[in-house]
Amino acid sequence: MRPGTSTGFEAPRPGRPVLAADDRRDPAPQRRSDRPSPSFHDLTSRLSALESAPVFYSLPDGTLRALARRLRRIKVHAGEMILFQGEPGDTIFFIERGRCRVVIEKPPGLVTVAVLAEGDFFGEGACVLNRPQQASVYAQTECYLLALDRQSLHLVMANRDQEWLEELRRTADQRFITFADASVQATWSLLLQEATVVGVYSPKGGSGGTCISLNLVGALSRRHPGQVLLLDLDFPYSHSALLAGLIPTSSLARMSTLPNDTFEEVLLSAVLYHVGGPMILPGALRPEEADEVTPDLISRALAALRKSFRYIVVDLGVTITDATLALFDLTQHVIVVAAPELSAVKSAADSIDILDELGTPPDRLSVVLNHRTEKPAVSKPAVERMLKRQIDVEIGFDGGRPEQAAVEGLILSLTNPRSEMARGCEALAALLESKHGQKPRANEAGTETPVGVGAGQPG
Amino acid sequence: MTSASPVAMVQQAQVGMRRSALRHQLQSVASGKTSSVSISLDQAGVDVGALIEEICDGRALDSVEIQRLVVVFTNSGLTDQVIERLGAKSPQQRARSARMVGALRLYDGVPWLAGLLDSRDRGVADAAARALGKIGGANSARALITSIQRRGLNRRLVAELARSAPDMFIESALGEPQRPSVRPALAMAAGLRRRAAAVRPLLALLEHGSRRERVITCRALGWIGSGTAVPAIRELLQDQDWKIRMSAAKALGALRARSAKDALKFLQIDPNVRVRRAAEQALHQLHEATLSGA
Repeated sequence: MRPGTSTGFEAPRPGRPVLAADDRRDPAPQRRSDRPSPSFHDLTSRLSALESAPVFYSLPDGTLRALARRLRRIKVHAGEMILFQGEPGDTIFFIERGRCRVVIEKPPGLVTVAVLAEGDFFGEGACVLNRPQQASVYAQTECYLLALDRQSLHLVMANRDQEWLEELRRTADQRFITFADASVQATWSLLLQEATVVGVYSPKGGSGGTCISLNLVGALSRRHPGQVLLLDLDFPYSHSALLAGLIPTSSLARMSTLPNDTFEEVLLSAVLYHVGGPMILPGALRPEEADEVTPDLISRALAALRKSFRYIVVDLGVTITDATLALFDLTQHVIVVAAPELSAVKSAADSIDILDELGTPPDRLSVVLNHRTEKPAVSKPAVERMLKRQIDVEIGFDGGRPEQAAVEGLILSLTNPRSEMARGCEALAALLESKHGQKPRANEAGTETPVGVGAGQPG
Repeated sequence: MTSASPVAMVQQAQVGMRRSALRHQLQSVASGKTSSVSISLDQAGVDVGALIEEICDGRALDSVEIQRLVVVFTNSGLTDQVIERLGAKSPQQRARSARMVGALRLYDGVPWLAGLLDSRDRGVADAAARALGKIGGANSARALITSIQRRGLNRRLVAELARSAPDMFIESALGEPQRPSVRPALAMAAGLRRRAAAVRPLLALLEHGSRRERVITCRALGWIGSGTAVPAIRELLQDQDWKIRMSAAKALGALRARSAKDALKFLQIDPNVRVRRAAEQALHQLHEATLSGA
């Protein structure tokens, strides 16, 4: 490049070094091909990752190709850390395949602020804004990432669209604010001690999902009397109230048309009180009312209920509807119930895959194996092999006790703590307490208080 | 004490004035007051590279000051001159040019700097390594690794590798097949950079690596300060090799691993004097940590 031939911020081009005279001792420096050119298919795949990324898709083809040639492909195993909060960073990572979890450590726990998948990128805050990493990023599944370091980005963009770089900075700044807000909101919910929402999902009918929900509420109520609610969304037939010996007169479905100012009051008045401590809110009284329970209604209801309870256990039933999907987004913990039968285990395995796809973190998912017969058709190790994960709680065969309790309108975890169902639900309650336990409120000193929200290793 | 002759004093003053004028000119360019520059790279007694380094030091790659300097240097043809001088006859000129390329973060100079890493002149090789460390990026890191492969474990190269390697470069390189000298260098670089993401590959190296790799990996984990590595390092206190025991003791001291206190006490009667000393030092660190409540 000759003087005066260029304007603006242009990248310098090297001249060929003049070879030294023969008498010099060192060999003349040779330009090395340090960056092997990617193959055609590789380049196409890299381009496709860049084109699907926000902001980058607006770049012209030539620039995208120049960037694609400078990308580094990295394979990261599930659970491995990619970025660590607070460290300096200089690379933008594009997710070519897999999913990553973005976590902000905010005492007393960890807050997952995003789950990123193919087409997303991360690390841009540190790379273009020169800030320390705002969050840690873990590979949730096996990931293939494409890394673009700061030097390559600036080299390619040096004599190109500077406004685009500004846009990237704005996006990074926007995301920084979003993540910060998300983590603050999550911390508020911990500080305000809003209820933990636990979804109980039984992918196959007859696995005992409703029975476990009811007894889990009983076990939690023993620890926090009057502060645990069972929301029965096992449609079309919601029978939790009946099994607890209560007669429902209203339901969530009947609140769908209520205005906002009276919604909370009427909703709380529909809650049924059990003498042992648990409370129950039926989703619908009649099968045809189930359609009234929309994702929006569920969000409104949970927003109101979370202020009044410590735990809200939601019986999600068998079918996956829009309401169920909305609930999965709103729950802090999901319990999948499986019976040791081939079809039930297969359904449980499928549902775990779906929950995984939906971005449910592994430490927020528990599997319960409920023995409905004395001699199970499938052994526990076989179930674990099929589910590709360990069983968190196993409930032994309890004879005819659950059915008898239902007839009598009793909750086993309150009336017969020695029964298998009560012991299993007690273990489940202890598990939930260890993961979501909160400090006692000021007026409740003396109740047990395990602290450590999200204390486990993410990923 | 000898007094300088008047001629020498005048010459010294002239050099000082030239240096001052040049510094002023470069600062004007960096601050945007001037958009042209007229500099001779061969001014007697004035190291232009050192002055550019002085102005660019501590500034980020995308800082406006560096970008202004690069644009003005490019427009005046100085960038070409600087890169051309990387192949000059004089080692001094090559070293100075390498410093300038590094200070201005001229990424296009990376392949030429990579060639200078093998220079027989130590000053030139060091200047090239430093320049690559400053420029950073995957290509600079690859060039340094290639040089480590040829020259073996070299402190300067490792330090610059730690500085230049982008995120996840060291971690992924640790997982790839490497020559014997490279893996310890990578482990050391990960430790110097305090890369928390490198803990997992380092633990794998601690388990399966050679004696030298394990010794260096222990220290690297200590520098990173990873509490999760304590159980694995504690086991190495019973290793047959004294160097591994010594390294493990030092790492546990750095990690303030109170759970290893008893095992470290046991090492105070180790047959090797250096292991005993390392154990005592580690126990002292633990004691200090306890007193400070850390």
